[in-house]
Amino acid sequence: MENQKNQGSAGKALVFFVIGVALMVGGMYVSKNVDIPFQHTLAEQGIPLDLGKTIATIGVFLILFKLLEFFYLKPLTEAIDSRNNALQATFDEAEELKARMTELKTAYEDKLAKSEAEAREEIQKALADAQQMKNQIIAEARTQADEIRRKADEDIEREKAKALVEMRTQVVEMTLTATEKLIGESMDQERQRQLVEKFIDTVEVGK
Amino acid sequence: MEQFGLGIGIAALGAGIGLGLIGYGAMQGMARQPEALGRIQIAMLIAFAFVELVFLLTVFIIPGTLKG
Amino acid sequence: MSFWGLAFYVVLVLAVILGTMAYAKTGLSDRVFKNPLTRLYEHVYIFVKNLCVSIIGPHGERFVPMMFTFWIVIFVGNITALLFPTSPTADLSFNLGMALIAVGYVQYAGIVSQYEHLRHEGVSAAAAIPKAIFRHLMHFTGPRLPLVLIPISGLIFVVELISEVMKNVSLSLRLYGNIDGGHQAADAMNKLLYDYYIPVGAFLMPIKLLTCIVQALIFCLLTCVYISLVTHHEEESHDTKEAHAAAH
Repeated sequence: MENQKNQGSAGKALVFFVIGVALMVGGMYVSKNVDIPFQHTLAEQGIPLDLGKTIATIGVFLILFKLLEFFYLKPLTEAIDSRNNALQATFDEAEELKARMTELKTAYEDKLAKSEAEAREEIQKALADAQQMKNQIIAEARTQADEIRRKADEDIEREKAKALVEMRTQVVEMTLTATEKLIGESMDQERQRQLVEKFIDTVEVGK
Repeated sequence: MEQFGLGIGIAALGAGIGLGLIGYGAMQGMARQPEALGRIQIAMLIAFAFVELVFLLTVFIIPGTLKG
Repeated sequence: MSFWGLAFYVVLVLAVILGTMAYAKTGLSDRVFKNPLTRLYEHVYIFVKNLCVSIIGPHGERFVPMMFTFWIVIFVGNITALLFPTSPTADLSFNLGMALIAVGYVQYAGIVSQYEHLRHEGVSAAAAIPKAIFRHLMHFTGPRLPLVLIPISGLIFVVELISEVMKNVSLSLRLYGNIDGGHQAADAMNKLLYDYYIPVGAFLMPIKLLTCIVQALIFCLLTCVYISLVTHHEEESHDTKEAHAAAH
């Protein structure tokens, strides 16, 4: 397609060239040999016109258009295009590199932030563990202390009760012996004991 | 061309006044709208060309026709 | 100037153009154009391209080679006129040849644009060519008038044809008048102090240099304007038609 186009434009250029050369030769012939009367009138008026030269000029320009187009304008436009393309490519590359750099940077920052968060989490976890352990230990200590105190209280109660019971028996015994010695009369042992105990009960109740 | 000296002088006067008017208008336009400078310049040049052409026609055509 | 004199100057100008271009081509392979001539030609190319695109429109790029050639030939020819006694662009016949090519190409471009528009509308290739030529000729009759005013359309057609011929004359005469007029002015001023060997006319050089650039610009500019007049019209009417359809 491109080749065909080139061939087509080359053929067109050849046609232009042939016509141009023909016009140049024709113009030369007209200028030398053909006498155009209206040129004389113009020359008398001070306007130097030679149609042969005009025809030759047209031929020259027909060739020149194509010549300059192929000789200079095509390479120039190609050079400008390639330069623009190269510039564009460079800019694209720079853009791409920049984008990649940004990507890497964000990835690195993400990673950094993630590891930091992990470390913080670890510390938090350790702290929470320690706290929990502390609470547990404190709770255990407290239960143990409570237990010990409760046991001690129980012991005290028990001793107290025992002492009371002993005291009562001794008080009864002592009262009996004292009373026996005082009245000297022997009473029925069992009967006496019951009496005294009743008395003490009333005393206790009254107390 | 000598016998048309004064006439050509008057033609030059007219063309000069015309060119001056164009320059006046263009400069005013450019001062008022500096962003339209390029377009005003192009229009100014075209107008210059036409005024100039009138003078050239006077110089080249009229003496010839009057003489002939 | 005789035929061979013109031929000599044309060959001179072309030799300068092609020689500088051949030298500029060696700098094309650089990644950044370091060769000053290459940069110069690149700037000229970009300038002409911007000119075409800004005046003709987005489809103006296909006229760039022609405009570039005109620009370079006229500019180098004008510079030659500064340094040599005469130059191709100081010759009316040469300028008329350039103007004929430019105006002829304008007609060709107008027909091609009409043809492409017709093909776009779905007209077959064989039927499109005469229709395109007809439409291009109708372009000369001005705005569409009611049936009664057809004689006026005919009148406009004649006037437009004359103006088309006058385009050639104006393009060529302007260039010729400026360059040859510059020479004559310089000669006339040189005569003032001829006895003291002081070339007063040489001090006109800066203004002539300005003329060189401006004339090359104006030739290309006017050709672009003519092309845009011929090719734009159809597209604009197409656009307005679409806008009307959208409005309904």
